[in-house]
Amino acid sequence: MLLLGKIVLGFAATAAAGVGLLYSDGMIVVDVVEKQPERHHIYVPAPALLVPVGMHFAPKEKLAEASREIRPWLPTIRAAVAQLRECEDITLVEVKNHDEHVRVAKSGGSIVVDVEEEDDTVHVSTPIRAISSVIEQLAAAEPSTQSAP
Amino acid sequence: MTPRMNHTMKTIGKRLQVAAVFCLLVTAMATVARAGSEKYLHVKVDDAENGESVNVNLPLSIAEKVLPTVNKGNLHAGCVHISNADMDGVDIKAILDAIRTAPDNEFVTVKEKDQDVRVAKSNGNLVIHVRDMSDKKDKKGQKVDITVPMKVVDALFSTAKKDELDIAAAIRALGDAGDALLVSVEDASQHVRIWVDSKSSSDR
Repeated sequence: MLLLGKIVLGFAATAAAGVGLLYSDGMIVVDVVEKQPERHHIYVPAPALLVPVGMHFAPKEKLAEASREIRPWLPTIRAAVAQLRECEDITLVEVKNHDEHVRVAKSGGSIVVDVEEEDDTVHVSTPIRAISSVIEQLAAAEPSTQSAP
Repeated sequence: MTPRMNHTMKTIGKRLQVAAVFCLLVTAMATVARAGSEKYLHVKVDDAENGESVNVNLPLSIAEKVLPTVNKGNLHAGCVHISNADMDGVDIKAILDAIRTAPDNEFVTVKEKDQDVRVAKSNGNLVIHVRDMSDKKDKKGQKVDITVPMKVVDALFSTAKKDELDIAAAIRALGDAGDALLVSVEDASQHVRIWVDSKSSSDR
């Protein structure tokens, strides 16, 4: 009975550690609400760790092309991401007009984009750590030598 | 456990508590000091005619760190290259040196039927005012007010090269300067403001 308890505890601890690791980079959240004509609600929360893992399955040539395009801007992106991590929560850009309200903000370690339109609202939240690891993976990818058409 | 050991443990425990509270206080003070020292560049565009507004809030620390990494076009290592054609043979550094050493004064005043232009030095700032009434449809006319701290102007022209403006140095100087409304452009429908302050939101 004691042995069974230890095995269950071991499994529970491993599962908890696995979930903790999976969510260690935070969550990417995509939340879309379509208002008209029928109300649809799409809510996708995904562990940010899955993005760099998913990139391993991306076609090599596509990664190489992205790597070539992003390479000249790597120092700029790295500097911006590092500073964004450090700075306090802030609305970076906000655009309002009669039909739309767009807001790009840094909120709690994530970059949040909110778009509110007459027909739908979109909320996308991406942890800065996830952005950083994607950029580093692109930087590590072999860049293609061919220029894009 | 002997009574003496018990007493020693209690003393150590109390000291650890005091040390923990002290560490927390120092961390809190450092955080407050850091948050207070951050400056933000704000750009606000209000277009009353189209009912549109745009707000941009940028921590100066981001601009300061990011700008030197951009190497594109005329921008390299935080400096903008200006061609001789743009300078049109004008020795800007000599002019600024003359303005810096001069007392507060109006340097240029142009008054025309439809336009007023004023360039002055006032309280350590370079001040430019333009009033343009040439557009007959716009009864209010267009108003442009630019106020730049002289320290920022100095930093802008602090590079050894004559044909370069040091934008990164100007941003650093802007961070050291106080809160200021740098640019205001206003006409019948639009109002554009650029300012620096210690608030992360664009309430002004």
